[in-house]
Amino acid sequence: MSAGSVPSGYEVNDPGYPTPQENYLTNSKGILSWAFTLDHKRIGMMYLIGVTSAFLLGGLLALGIRLHLFAPDGILFNNALFQWLAPDKAPNDIYNQVFTLHGAIMVFLFIIPSVPAALGNFLVPVMLGAKDVAFPRLNLSSFYLWVGGALFFVMALLASGLDTGWTFYTPYSTTTDSSVILATTGAFVLGFSSIFTGLNFIVTINTMRPPGMTWFRMPLFLWATYSTSIIQVLATPVLGITLLLLIAERTLHIGIFDPEYNGDPVTFQHFFWFYSHPAVYIMILPAFGIISELISVHSHKRIFGYRFIAYSSIAIALLSFIVWGHHMFTSGMSPITTIIFSALTFTVSVPSAIKVFNWVATMFKGSISLTTPMVYAIAFIFLFTIGGLTGLHLGTLATDMHLHDTYFVVAHFHYVMVGGTVVAFLGGVFHWWPKMVGKMYSEAGGLLSAALVFIGFNLTFLPQFILGSRGMPRRYATYDPEFAPLHQMSTYGALILGVGLFVALFVLLMSLVNGKKAPANPWGGATLEWNCTSPPPFYNFERPPVVGDPYEFGDIRWDTELDRYVKVEPQRERVPSETPAETPAHASE
Amino acid sequence: MMSLLGDYTSSKLSVFPKSASSFSGESDWVFHFISIVCVIFFIPIAVALFGFAWKYRKAKGQPADSQVDHNTTLELVWSIGPSFLLVVMFYFGARGFLDMRSIPEGAYNVGVDAYKWGWGMNYGNGVIHPELHVVAGEPTKLTMTSKDVIHSLYIPSFRVKKDIVPGRYNYIWFKAMEPSEKVMTDEECKQLADKDKEDNLSWDYDARQCTPDGYNFYDLYCAEYCGTNHSEMQTVVVVHETQEELDAWIKKYSSRGDEPPAAYGAKLYERRGCKSCHSIDGSRLVGPSYKGSYGTMRNIVGGDQVKVDENYIRESILNPKAKVAIEQGVAYQPVMPSYKGQLSEDDIYSLIEFIKSLGDPSATEPEAPADAEPVSVE
Repeated sequence: MSAGSVPSGYEVNDPGYPTPQENYLTNSKGILSWAFTLDHKRIGMMYLIGVTSAFLLGGLLALGIRLHLFAPDGILFNNALFQWLAPDKAPNDIYNQVFTLHGAIMVFLFIIPSVPAALGNFLVPVMLGAKDVAFPRLNLSSFYLWVGGALFFVMALLASGLDTGWTFYTPYSTTTDSSVILATTGAFVLGFSSIFTGLNFIVTINTMRPPGMTWFRMPLFLWATYSTSIIQVLATPVLGITLLLLIAERTLHIGIFDPEYNGDPVTFQHFFWFYSHPAVYIMILPAFGIISELISVHSHKRIFGYRFIAYSSIAIALLSFIVWGHHMFTSGMSPITTIIFSALTFTVSVPSAIKVFNWVATMFKGSISLTTPMVYAIAFIFLFTIGGLTGLHLGTLATDMHLHDTYFVVAHFHYVMVGGTVVAFLGGVFHWWPKMVGKMYSEAGGLLSAALVFIGFNLTFLPQFILGSRGMPRRYATYDPEFAPLHQMSTYGALILGVGLFVALFVLLMSLVNGKKAPANPWGGATLEWNCTSPPPFYNFERPPVVGDPYEFGDIRWDTELDRYVKVEPQRERVPSETPAETPAHASE
Repeated sequence: MMSLLGDYTSSKLSVFPKSASSFSGESDWVFHFISIVCVIFFIPIAVALFGFAWKYRKAKGQPADSQVDHNTTLELVWSIGPSFLLVVMFYFGARGFLDMRSIPEGAYNVGVDAYKWGWGMNYGNGVIHPELHVVAGEPTKLTMTSKDVIHSLYIPSFRVKKDIVPGRYNYIWFKAMEPSEKVMTDEECKQLADKDKEDNLSWDYDARQCTPDGYNFYDLYCAEYCGTNHSEMQTVVVVHETQEELDAWIKKYSSRGDEPPAAYGAKLYERRGCKSCHSIDGSRLVGPSYKGSYGTMRNIVGGDQVKVDENYIRESILNPKAKVAIEQGVAYQPVMPSYKGQLSEDDIYSLIEFIKSLGDPSATEPEAPADAEPVSVE
């Protein structure tokens, strides 16, 4: 045994590989076994396919935007092909619909469910050593609500498009003749999907932690998921109500937001951002959780400042509810309100900064493996730091008056949402992919995708900061010629970014065809999901895992003979009733 | 340091447009202060990030050199330390913002009417023009309202922006510091305008970098998404050196004088936003084309037909939603704002004469009146 000497009284715990009867992917067959599955892992996989499809669609729309903006008067939606496809639509209208759908699809169909619903569903129960989430049926219904919401968006797209921007600002949204009602109904339904997922995770984490896993022995991914779930449950209903009011105003002409019926359009903005600002943290908090895991595991070192990271997640979740006004600094709120919102906004930057410092400190004197997930995690820290720091220019009132609603804002939130969440999501997928499908992917391919994404992303969005500070307003279908060179750089960057993302998809799909079998613990992680086989058996654990410190790497050894990491743990008395014979009985329930 | 930054910002490679109001110096200074703080924080983070990743990479199975997992002093320092800088940023930001929100007494007032998709700057006495003209060194207050959806007035060179919300007045003020220069003589302007008229083009501000009156200008954008032609909802700001110069400019546009009504109507067509929705070459835009429309019968929503005559045009200007036209079976969107109170009787009369001059079906070739003056203003 080359893992070093195993002390007496200890044994090597290596679960090996699952049999096809155990493997959750193959233990039952047929489309119905997937469609009606209550297995959190299968639901997670279905979400993963769903959100990836939405990301693909939203990404193609983004490429459309960037290509159109290659020249000041546009080059895509005003060319012959589009005029033939949509003869009754002005190029500007097509552009407006494309940027609206890009935003709406990316926000509602991709980013919000990406990490919590796809990765979270798969990981939360396994990280808890549990068999499933607390409410498996609610879990499946949340997936079908997501599908239903997505169908409403597709219907809106096919009916007459949507041209309000993803923010649905009144009175534009109450007066335009595009499919506002279909799209808001979709967002309303998706809201319920999000609430169900959040509720499920809150109950699961509160009630199903195994003995020994106290709050402060939880993996940080669970802390992040828990904080996210709190926001989902508390904030999403406000969006639902707001959208219902919007629909009521459009159909029944009840005066709420439209001044024509004595409503107030700024009220809509307050309602909308009361949800949508916390939603920004629904999008980024789970990414923080992923990065905490990735940095620690691939540095093979205890996470630095566990408590600060855990508390900062909760702090962010709470503070996120009181900063929504910074989306409205130029709307004409009273000066005192505006100044209070500016001050509160600065407070959010503190917990985010704490996390960045802690991640970098975790790498100090670590044993770093520059694997694909680690490289994505490093890219995340770099990009998210830029995204976070440029938020300071926007939180500061004097400079925000100039930068508000310009490309500076576009660049800032793409650094946070794409450089942050999407890069973390990719890192997380590469990290847990062996666990999810039981196959290893090509490391070289994964690293290539990370490099292309990093270069392409920066080339796309760095120029946009300068576009914004030079005064280029956002959501413009055409622009003044002086902005052309920076827009062209941005378009080239978007193409490279697109190639990088396709490489990532290709590498992952190829692993299914010719990937090596994945061991239980390919990276040497200490959290519980690495204790079960890859992919996990239907019931996750053959016997209840021993709960240890999630960041204690001392008993994880690299075994050169087996060519994988194994865990060295105290020998346990085997009681007959604890044998795996019990498991199939449950499976046939 | 401020002067050094000032030199830097005026260069071609600057991250800012020209600094041209009393706010821009402060705004840019705060921006650079924040940027420098960001760089000071970012460089060590990036160096540590990449440095650690390279220095501490090890083969599989090698244990980490350290398993230190917290250092409360260090963590408190980096949590609390930067907060002081945040307070400084907040303070300078709020101070600059309060200046922007404290409108001085006696500021020169211009009314701003925003609509899909254009601007009407109201100088009083019935003078409404799409360009914003102000005086250098004097505070100007804009009293802004929207006829339809939310717009936002943004002048990058002045570093100011404010949303314009329908149903309420929003205000903004600034003091322009750098006067515009007269870069083209009146004769050159007239020649170009005549040529535009022949080619059926409107004045190209971007290409010529000057207004039809020969001044160079600052861009003014709509910054809040407002629909189809949001990106074309742009106009310009001209800063005059003296109040007299501004008054002379206003006077030039104050009334028709002895100009023929159709020619004046053509100017109003360009100047008052008709152009953004109604073509004069027969093409279908947001609203019906004026070309050859006078005297025709038109289908309207509700199934009736109406003759395009003086009364119909007048009604459509003052109460656009009363009789909405249908063309080729498709109704136009009822989006035009009312111009009640915005146009004088003489203005309406001039517009009707202009529409008449674009021909009616009985005439073979639409013909502008022989004595029409060239259109000189957007």
